[in-house]
Amino acid sequence: MRTLQAARAGWFIAALFLSACVSATPDCASKDVFCVGLVTNIGKINDKSFNQSAWEGGVQSQRELGSQVQYIETVDPKDYDKNIATFADENYDVIVTVGFSMSEATLKAAGLYPKVNFIGVDQFQDEEIPNVTGLIFPEDQAGFLVGALAAMMSKTHQIGAVCGPDVIPPIWRFGEGYRAGAAYADSLQSAATKVLIAYHENNDIAFTDVEWGAETAKSMMDQGVDVIFGCGGVTGNSAITTAAGAGAYVIGVDTDQYLTLPEAAPRMLSSAMKLITPGVLNLIRLAREGNFPGGNHLGEAGYAPYHDLESEVPADVKEIMEEIKAGLFDGSLETGVPSTKP
Amino acid sequence: MTEKKKSKSKSSEGIGGGSLGEALRVPALAVLTGLIIGAIAIVASGSNVFEAYSALFIGAFGDPVRFFSGFQQLFTTGETAGLLRAIYPFTESLVTATPYIFAGLSVALGFRCGLFNIGAEGQFFIGALCSAFVGYSIVGLPAYIHLPLALLAGAAGGALWGIVPGYLKARFGAHEVVNTIMMNWIAFRLSDWLLNGPMKASGFRPVTPNIEHTAELPRFFPDPLRLNWGFILALIVAYVLYWFLFKTTLGFEIRSVGANPDAARYAGMNIIRNFVLVMALAGGLAGLAGASQVLGVDHWVGQGFSAGYGFDAIALALLGKSHPFGVVLAALLFGFLRSGATRMQSMAGVPIDIISIIQGLVIIFIAAPAIIRWLYRLKSVKVEETVLTRGWGK
Repeated sequence: MRTLQAARAGWFIAALFLSACVSATPDCASKDVFCVGLVTNIGKINDKSFNQSAWEGGVQSQRELGSQVQYIETVDPKDYDKNIATFADENYDVIVTVGFSMSEATLKAAGLYPKVNFIGVDQFQDEEIPNVTGLIFPEDQAGFLVGALAAMMSKTHQIGAVCGPDVIPPIWRFGEGYRAGAAYADSLQSAATKVLIAYHENNDIAFTDVEWGAETAKSMMDQGVDVIFGCGGVTGNSAITTAAGAGAYVIGVDTDQYLTLPEAAPRMLSSAMKLITPGVLNLIRLAREGNFPGGNHLGEAGYAPYHDLESEVPADVKEIMEEIKAGLFDGSLETGVPSTKP
Repeated sequence: MTEKKKSKSKSSEGIGGGSLGEALRVPALAVLTGLIIGAIAIVASGSNVFEAYSALFIGAFGDPVRFFSGFQQLFTTGETAGLLRAIYPFTESLVTATPYIFAGLSVALGFRCGLFNIGAEGQFFIGALCSAFVGYSIVGLPAYIHLPLALLAGAAGGALWGIVPGYLKARFGAHEVVNTIMMNWIAFRLSDWLLNGPMKASGFRPVTPNIEHTAELPRFFPDPLRLNWGFILALIVAYVLYWFLFKTTLGFEIRSVGANPDAARYAGMNIIRNFVLVMALAGGLAGLAGASQVLGVDHWVGQGFSAGYGFDAIALALLGKSHPFGVVLAALLFGFLRSGATRMQSMAGVPIDIISIIQGLVIIFIAAPAIIRWLYRLKSVKVEETVLTRGWGK
C-alpha cells in the first residue's frame, strides 16, 4: 500500500513538473521569437561595470526589438561552457559573453552551435568566424578624450597616468591616446601641459600591483601633478584612490568608475569609457536583421559624466569636450596613435 | 510528512545507528525544509516559485519531455542526438558532484580521526597543479601510464599538503585548524606565482598549457557532454574508503583515535602515526578532487580555479555524517542544486544566490537536527555521536 501511495505521489509531482515546464519558457526555436542570453564573467549582473553595461544593451533590445532576454551569472570559470550551452540548448538566437577571459569558451561554443550568433564583449578575434563577433573599442579615443579633459582641468599644467604594461595593446592605446588628447587640448588653448605616463613593467603583478600604483601616483603628485588617470586593473585603481585621497582630480577607465570606486568618487572627474551598452545593442540589432558581421566590430568610446564635480568644470571645457567627442565620432578628428607600440 | 521509503534494517555503520531510512530521514526533511524556506526567498525576489523549482528540476535532471522524444528518436531512426541532449543536464550535475565527492571524503576522513581538515581547498589547488604539470610536461607516454601517473601526482601533491599539518599536530601539538588554514594561503599564493611564472602558457592569461590527450580522463559522450571516468573513480574511491574505515584494522584504529585518543593510546595504538596517516590520506583525496577537475573537465588550470570546493566539502562531510556513502549522497545533492541553478536563472530569472541560501538552510538544519525533529514531530532516536573534532591541545 505504502509503495503504491508513494508511486502515486511521485507521478503527481512529475506531472506537475511536466505541465509547468511546457508553459514556462518562450520557444526560442521559433522564427518569431528572438531570444538573447547573456552569460556574465565571474561576478554579478549589477556589477556597475562590464556585466551590467552589457546586460543593459540586452534590456534595451527587449524594448526596441521585442527580444526575449535572460542572463546567467557565472560563479565558477569552469561553468562558462555549461552556462553558454544552457542558452544554446534552448535555441537562443544570440548569446552575449562578457569579457576577455571568456574568449576561449565563446569560440568553443561557436564551433558546437553554428546556428547561434555570439557577441564577445572585449574579445578581440584573431581570425574571422562567421557566428562570433568580438565587440572591441577604440581605447585611443577614450584616452584622447580624458587626456584633453585632464589638460584643461589641471591648474599646475602637469598631468599623469598610471597604467599597465605598454606591450599590451589596449593599455598602450589608452596611455598614448591620453598623451595625444592633452597635446590637442594644449593646441586649442595654447598651453603647455607636461604629461607623465608610467607604464608598469610587464610581469606577473602588472595588474595587481597595489603598492606600485599608489607609490607612482604619490611621486607624480610630489612633482606637481594634479590630475591622474589610472588604467590597469587593480594597479590603476590603487593609483586613483591614493591620488583622490591626496586631493588630486582622478580619472577612471573602461566603465564609469565613479560607481565602482566610491572612495575616490568625490574627486572623480570622469572615466575613459568603452560604450558597451550601445555596442551590444547594435550587434543584437544586426543579428536580428540577419546581418551579423563576424570578426571584430569596433564600438564607440566616450567619457563618463562629471558627477560631483559638475560645478567645477567650466562651461567652455564641457563644450570643447563635446566637440572633441563629435569630431572623433565622425572621423574629422584623429588621435594619431598607432594600434600597437612600434 | 513521514518518509515513505522502505527502511530495510540494514546496519550502516556510523551513519547514526538505526536503520538506513532512519538515518536518511532527517537529511531528507532538512532538504525539504530548505526548499520550502527557499521558496519564500524566491517569492520575495519577485519570481514564480513553481517556475523556479521546475526549472531547477529540469536543470538538474533534464526535461522529461526531451527524454521521451529522445528515446522515440533513438528507436525510430537510431539517432542518439536527441537523447544526448536530454541527458546533458543530468550528466552536468554528476560532473559538478565529482569534485564534491572527493573533497567531502577528504574532510569526512579527517573527522573520523577527530581532525578538522580545513585545508581541503589548498590541497585541491596543489593536487590540480601537480596533475596538470605531469599532464602537460610529459609527452609521448601511452595513456595507460600517463593518466595514472597524473592522477597519482595529484594525490601525492595533496597528500604532501596534508602531511605537513598532520606532522606538526602529532609532533608539536600544533592545532591542525590553524595549520591547514595557513597551508591554504601558501597554496593560493604559490599557485598564483606558478600560474604567472613557471607554469604559465604563452599569452597574457595566467593559465597552464593544455594537458596531453594521453593524460585526460576519458569522456563517455561527445562534446558538449563532459561526464568522464572521474565520476566513476569518485564512487570507487568512496567505496574503498568505506571498506578501509569499517573493515580493516587500521580503519578501526583511526576511528578509535577519533572517538577517544586517550583510550586508543592506552590500547597501544600509535596516535602520531594515525594523525599523519589520516592527514596524508585526506590531503590525497582533496588532491584527487583537483586532479579529477583538471584531467576530466578543464584540461588546464587557471587562476581562481576552485569555486570553494574545499570549503563546501566541510558542509558535505557534516551533511553526510562523515560516512563515505553519506558524503556521496550529499555531494550529489549539491551537484544537482548547483547545476539546476543555472537553468533556474535562465528560465525563471531567479538569482543563483537563492541556491546558496537553500544550501545554507539545509546545513543549518543538519547541524541542528533537533529543529527538524521538532518541526516534523519525529521521535528522537538515540544517536551514536561521531566526534567531529577536538579542542586545543590533546
